[in-house]
Amino acid sequence: MIRTEEMLLNVGPQHPSTHGVFRLVIKIDGEIIKEATPVIGYLHRGTEKLAEDLQYTQIIPYTDRMDYLAAMTNNYVLCHAVETMAGIIAPDRAEYLRVIAMELGRIASHLVWWGTYLLDIGATSPFLYAFREREMIINMLNELSGARLTFNYMRVGGVKWDAPEGWIQKVHDFVPYMREQLEGYHQLVTGNEIFMSRVKGIGSYTKEDAINYSLSGANLRCTGVKWDLRKNEPYSIYDRFDFDIPVRQDGDAWARYHCRLEEIEESLKILEQAVEQFPQDGPILAKVPKIIKPPKGESFVRIESPRGEIGCYIASNGKKEPYRLKFRRPSFYNLQILPKLLKGENMANLITILGAIDIVLGEVDG
Amino acid sequence: MAEEKGLEQLKKEAAEKAKAAAAAREKGAASAKVKEEPAEKAKPSPNQHILDKYVQEIENHLGKEILEDSYINRLSKDIPTLVAKPDTYRKVAELLKYNEQLAFDYLSELHGGDFETHMEVYVHLYSFTNQQAVALKVKIERSNLEIPSLVPLWEGANWPECETYDLLGIRFTGHPDLKRILLGEEWIGYPLRKDYEPYDVEV
Amino acid sequence: MLGLMKGLGYTMKNLTRKKVTYDYPNKPLPLPDRFRGIQKFYPEKCIVCNQCVNICPTDCIQLTGKKHPDPTKRGKLIDTYDINFEICILCDLCTEVCPTESIVMTNNFELAEYSRDELFKNLEWLDENDENIRKVNKV
Ligand code: SF4
Ligand code: SF4
Repeated sequence: MIRTEEMLLNVGPQHPSTHGVFRLVIKIDGEIIKEATPVIGYLHRGTEKLAEDLQYTQIIPYTDRMDYLAAMTNNYVLCHAVETMAGIIAPDRAEYLRVIAMELGRIASHLVWWGTYLLDIGATSPFLYAFREREMIINMLNELSGARLTFNYMRVGGVKWDAPEGWIQKVHDFVPYMREQLEGYHQLVTGNEIFMSRVKGIGSYTKEDAINYSLSGANLRCTGVKWDLRKNEPYSIYDRFDFDIPVRQDGDAWARYHCRLEEIEESLKILEQAVEQFPQDGPILAKVPKIIKPPKGESFVRIESPRGEIGCYIASNGKKEPYRLKFRRPSFYNLQILPKLLKGENMANLITILGAIDIVLGEVDG
Repeated sequence: MAEEKGLEQLKKEAAEKAKAAAAAREKGAASAKVKEEPAEKAKPSPNQHILDKYVQEIENHLGKEILEDSYINRLSKDIPTLVAKPDTYRKVAELLKYNEQLAFDYLSELHGGDFETHMEVYVHLYSFTNQQAVALKVKIERSNLEIPSLVPLWEGANWPECETYDLLGIRFTGHPDLKRILLGEEWIGYPLRKDYEPYDVEV
Repeated sequence: MLGLMKGLGYTMKNLTRKKVTYDYPNKPLPLPDRFRGIQKFYPEKCIVCNQCVNICPTDCIQLTGKKHPDPTKRGKLIDTYDINFEICILCDLCTEVCPTESIVMTNNFELAEYSRDELFKNLEWLDENDENIRKVNKV
């Protein structure tokens, strides 16, 4: 008889596969995980507290640091909340620039996920390919905003910079290029038998669970819920584009993988149309006072970030600083289901399951 | 304190606006900043009937005097907002989830806020079945910061409630594992309270 | 097995592609004009309006002004101007609000130092930092 003993094991906080500082205390019996307790907060910077002393414009650079893989959506959610409260409407050209920037960010974010996820489960080369394409996006956003990750690009009522000369053309050319690469990715990974056997049926949950655990983004769509705020509660100018919401039914890591890759395709569609419809000229900033003071009251808006539903709640007392600011951070909500998924799983599946949720620790910890 | 009163007043205003549309015009001061069309101001919100439905449903099942207030929050994309009392909060939440007309199966957001005179918990719910949203709020006395947990209804409320407890010190009774999720158990004080004194000013 | 072979095909195809990496640091990185690196400061342009100090989200700018030596002229002259680069997040807001463009961004990003004290940049340092200055600072 082989005797097994329960063992307590720390995964992280400094573990490459946790994509940041995230600790997972697991109790294992042999190879089987009995219990998993996530420990978070290593990256908590108190953004919400800091924001209470800052003007709205000053908060925008802080939002860059939450979900640092797709900072444009974070920029947008704050601006959108303030605009909703103050009744500001951004000019068309600004909205197009915003949408292009956000969709590029979404593709970049999914590429990072794709690359690192495969790296986590043992394939090195996809990571290099994904980063090659991501680098192109980052360079484009760098040209647009002046920073590679912490863009600080959007402003309440518009954007900071207009598109530089020839930039729109670059985005235009990027779309077919990326499509071609995407096909290559499928060729490289999607049909791979080893990969399939590692992810198929792993970490699956039902639609009811997904809803009950407040999952969002691809984590929700992989169970068959056709839900995307860009379509269902259109904000910005998303109602002008024709795109699909990729859904899968199985709710496992394989389904999430497909949802994300297909989302890249949909984002490319949006980019294509946005570039086509891009207004020739016009202002990029609405007429807003230098110091923005939303009216008294409160507001909660939510938009679709690459990781799911990102929301921003502002309680204002009419001053230039928010009285209370709160971000609904999708990774934070999505991670809640992890202990349930890990229970009873094989140790080897831990990283497969964790990676498929797609978390960014800057966002989990706020 | 004074600002808080202003905030309260505005909320009441919003409620009144929804109920008696004509009354809205007089109180231009605070709402003038909202660059809405004047005509729109007078019009009842397009979501008014949804709010009426919610309130009706709650009154039918739980009786009157359950809600402290109900109004359309114009600043927040016209979301129907229900304000429950601390002792009815759990009942209302239960009804919101299990009643077929309401069926709010998705908890989108839960957080708290310190409004100096009281604390508040704000819950944003969505129903995939009925494609509708609601904001549920509850005001809690600062002297008794306790409120029933929503985790038995929505698992998704687990960590957000921990976060609220961690940063504001609101205790959620019936929560399976209420812990200081971000700051750690040894942290002193609740940072998001307005009267919080940083332990180390340099940091 | 077929999937594996297909994947290998993709790898093969990529062998012939052009290199995408840079030979950094032997060759400088190509950076767009808008890139935000450490600021350049023009003391002669500054009107000591304090707007940059007020907008800075991390409070890392400190400045003092002095009276104009010529009593017939109004206004102030800059006396000291320090940026604490330990906490500057290069957010671009100071350069955005400056009415005279006396503080502007450069493309210099190589800021590693052996001591934290050296991250404290004063007026002289910021004045001498005059390479790769951003050409367009305002839209
Ligand atoms: S770039 Fe931002 S953080 Fe740095 S000095 Fe200017 S305003 Fe302050
Ligand atoms: S904003 Fe410009 S002009 Fe005003 S104090 Fe700062 S650097 Fe000088």
